[in-house]
Amino acid sequence: MLRTPGGASPLARRRRLVAGVAALSLGALTACGGGGDEEGDGSGEGTTIELWIMEGTNPDAEPYVADLQAAFAEQTGATLDVQFIQWADAHDRITTAMAGGELPDVAEIGTTWAPEFGAAGALTDLAGSIEESGLADDLVPALSEAATVDGAVYGMPWYAGTRSLMYRADVFAEHDLQPPTTWEELREVALQLKELEPDMIPFPVIGGGEYSVDAFIWGAGGQIAEQGSDGQWASTINSPEAVEGIEFYTSLATEDELSVAAASTWLETDQLESFQNGEAAMVINGNWTVNTLLEADASWADRIGVVPIPGQTGGFSPSFVGGSLLGDFSSDEPELAWQLIELMSTGEFASQWAESSGYFPGQQSLLEAVQQEDDPLVAPFARQMAEAGASVPVTEQYGAIQGEQVIPQMLQSILSGDKSVQQAADDAAAAMDQTFGG
Amino acid sequence: MAAELTRSDRERAPAPAGAPAGPRASGARRATWTRALRPWLLLTPALAVLAVLLFWPLVRVLLLSFQDYGLRQINTGESNYTGFDNYREILGDSFLWRTVLPNTVLFAVTCVVLTVVVGTLVALLLQRLGRVWRVICSSVIMMAWAMPAVTGTYVWIWVFDPLNGVVSGGLDGLGVIEPRETNWFTDRWSFYAIAALNVVHHGFPFVAITVFAALLTIPRELPEAAIVDGANAWQRFWRITVPTIRPVFLVVTILSTIWDFKVFAQIYLMPGGAGSNQEVLNLGVWSYIQSFSRNQYGMGSAIAVLLTLLLLAITVGYVRALSNERDEL
Repeated sequence: MLRTPGGASPLARRRRLVAGVAALSLGALTACGGGGDEEGDGSGEGTTIELWIMEGTNPDAEPYVADLQAAFAEQTGATLDVQFIQWADAHDRITTAMAGGELPDVAEIGTTWAPEFGAAGALTDLAGSIEESGLADDLVPALSEAATVDGAVYGMPWYAGTRSLMYRADVFAEHDLQPPTTWEELREVALQLKELEPDMIPFPVIGGGEYSVDAFIWGAGGQIAEQGSDGQWASTINSPEAVEGIEFYTSLATEDELSVAAASTWLETDQLESFQNGEAAMVINGNWTVNTLLEADASWADRIGVVPIPGQTGGFSPSFVGGSLLGDFSSDEPELAWQLIELMSTGEFASQWAESSGYFPGQQSLLEAVQQEDDPLVAPFARQMAEAGASVPVTEQYGAIQGEQVIPQMLQSILSGDKSVQQAADDAAAAMDQTFGG
Repeated sequence: MAAELTRSDRERAPAPAGAPAGPRASGARRATWTRALRPWLLLTPALAVLAVLLFWPLVRVLLLSFQDYGLRQINTGESNYTGFDNYREILGDSFLWRTVLPNTVLFAVTCVVLTVVVGTLVALLLQRLGRVWRVICSSVIMMAWAMPAVTGTYVWIWVFDPLNGVVSGGLDGLGVIEPRETNWFTDRWSFYAIAALNVVHHGFPFVAITVFAALLTIPRELPEAAIVDGANAWQRFWRITVPTIRPVFLVVTILSTIWDFKVFAQIYLMPGGAGSNQEVLNLGVWSYIQSFSRNQYGMGSAIAVLLTLLLLAITVGYVRALSNERDEL
């Protein structure tokens, strides 16, 4: 992509630049580490714990970090060095740090990364610490499941979010429509919208992400993959139940034409954009997107309605609970690292973070407290997460399957009419089994 | 500065290699040795930098390509050699032969031809323009060149957005398409047509400016004499312009070929280009998905090595052609 004549030299120049920047930031880092030492007065005096968290989750992270550093210094005497990293390159950055032996003591990791990094041997098993602290029974089940591989817990649930059905409350009110409570009602109300609002997209069926279709697979009683008694995973995405779910989801586009062709390559962000533009009438979107909409325009508060994703014939369809764990990357100071993790993921600090970031805490008791508040734009998501949350197969191989985009491939081939649902599901199962087998 | 040095040193490097001009005078052997060594001594700093920054990574990629290397190996730093397994798996995969390789090669050939043709036409245009228009035109061309690949790609995606894009809006106005039922990014041909537009638009300015510079070196007398002899513009271009600046054409073609073979961002960032539409994968994106999305660094490296070998073969062919050309002149 370096369209400059002269072969290797621009690359060399860039590499040198990177090295320069790295050297500079290293200087800044050590300066940071040196400055904080005098504050300590407890057991961890003189030591520094390095923490990586994602940038942008919490729009107002500075005061939180300052409070956290003060509280941690007071509790342990150790210095806390916080670095913000970008979600987009966090996975690569951790991998690179792993290769270079530069891992932090504690880092925020995506729920689906725990099995990967855990299996690689980079994360410390926190099961013992969680048990000792008496926290084991108070964690959101879908989250602690996502972190648990063969009994080892590779991360402490910190905060999470989930996807539910968001709809245009103003449009529904105008036409006197009710939000759906079953799959058939979803189809019906979308068909009505197609008649009543011909310029809108009643329900975009997106092909670039997997979490919407996952809800329908689970809602029909299917699974993406199951682990046999020998520990070997096998895909079940072509089982009759799973296919029924995929069939329903994609038929909304292919048979009822409730979506648009463009949506077959949409990511969740494109879907949100279409909702924001006033085009999409119903979308399956994450609870964090409510904040995005409200920040852009406060009047969205009156135009959004939220319900948990309807179940096939009632109840709810399970929705993927995604979020962040706090992982101990084989810290030299495991006790200090655990104290930091506990401080962040429980009580006041956990609620404070969840509240200002628009996510939910990973502790069941804190989540229930949020549900009690009964905010119409928050409670339905909290209910979805507490009552119908799910996790994708917890194995390092599923990370590779997601990386290969097996489910989006399946969806796109169905939506573009290249394959039948059963054929596409069979192919997806074969692709998954190839990865599971190897 | 340092980079400039590196470049000129590299160009000069082959000369000393052939320099020990053999058995001249046997008495002066020592002096010859010193003379032969001196340039290498001067080259040492640059070569050391190159060795660390380019050669070592290359060797690492080559070593990785013979391993089953995943996150576990990254964490422990262990090696896990599996011989030619990665290569066997890739070369035995019909996906490579049916999709990835045709996509890569056909796309590169198309883009190179279009880039050079458009670039040359623009260069000829620049030559005919007056001072003011020449400045205006070349500035506009430079803008296309200066635009980062990522930004450019997003602009083209936006232009071709099936639902709200400028193109689909226009075609809808003419009644040619129904935007709600159109998605250009799912079809292999239309996907690559948009990508080609992007790559050619980004690549032609370099060709245009380079060829324009070469055109300025053609002595005025040549075309003037041809006009006197009654040659028309078409004949003048093929009989005088092209033969005179043929080496320049070879250089821009070889550079365009290298760039267009390893196109990555322009494909990866397009809707469906990051792996959800397997039909449109090329070697660069396939390598990235294997390495970084699937954490199979060995497999990704093997694909990268194959891409390098392919490029080397093409480059060697071109350089041969280039040196033959020079002998003829």
